[in-house]
Amino acid sequence: METKINKLKEIDKTKNPFKVPDNYFAQFNEEIMSRLPEKVYVAPRPVPLWDKVKPWVYLAAMFVGIYFTVNFLTRDGDKAQITTEQSVTDTRSDTFQPVDNYWSTVHITEEEFYQFLEDQMVDDGYYDYMYNQYYLN
Amino acid sequence: MGMIDEEILLDELRNPLTIRKGFARLVSEYSERLYWQIRKMVLSHDDANDILQDVFIKAWTNLENFRGESKLTTWLYRIAINESITFLNKKRIQNNISIDDDNIFLLNTIESDEYFDGDEAQKLLQKAILTLPDKQRLVFQMKYFEEMKYEDMSEILGTSVGALKASYHHAVKKIEKILGETN
Repeated sequence: METKINKLKEIDKTKNPFKVPDNYFAQFNEEIMSRLPEKVYVAPRPVPLWDKVKPWVYLAAMFVGIYFTVNFLTRDGDKAQITTEQSVTDTRSDTFQPVDNYWSTVHITEEEFYQFLEDQMVDDGYYDYMYNQYYLN
Repeated sequence: MGMIDEEILLDELRNPLTIRKGFARLVSEYSERLYWQIRKMVLSHDDANDILQDVFIKAWTNLENFRGESKLTTWLYRIAINESITFLNKKRIQNNISIDDDNIFLLNTIESDEYFDGDEAQKLLQKAILTLPDKQRLVFQMKYFEEMKYEDMSEILGTSVGALKASYHHAVKKIEKILGETN
């Protein structure tokens, strides 16, 4: 077992069994340089200023477009909000509006409205009576 | 060649005025190393010479494509290894041998090559190495003969250091077994 393991170590690996012809590498270098094809160079075309600036201009235009689009969409939203707020404000201020303005929006006559108020008072009186009779007695 | 030298060489290679001079330096610096790498794979001097020429012509043609992401040495070694393996596969096809088979068909090359000057032990070792698959043979040769670092081998072969260590260990075991059985 031990002899088998050392078989590889017994061989002198520094001794190269492969040989080359005399002066091979020097001749090879010369030979390969003479075989190399010529390289064709194309002079780089000068880049116009517009081509250099174009990407930045497009980028700026894109951001301007985004700005205006967002502005436009949110402005409509704001308007709708303002209209809603205004209508809420308008509704709230109904109670403080002069009677003339109120009558222009409500679709009942003045007599019907006074009748309604009287009915309310009667109902209130009824409930007051019931309260006195039921809770206080 | 140190890192600074490689930088200077790359600058020469990128300049149309100095490219030839730079390439001549490249050939002078790397031809011998690459030759032995190829020779140990294909065994025959004539075949190794042809492949080495192809390697440098390919390197010359594709110089503009070298982006400097790896070292120049690594790039050249990769071309050399690919050319060697392509050559061996072509030879297998010509001899109607499966690409998956070992390289025993190269035994004749050792026997007949006038530039093989090894004793019986050396011949036996080369025959044992030929029983390994191509990539494992490469790993064994790079580590055993050239004593290359695993990290450098990993860059060239594109295999992890762990896998290379395992591959080398198995290669050594296999070769030792063959050498032991033969004796």
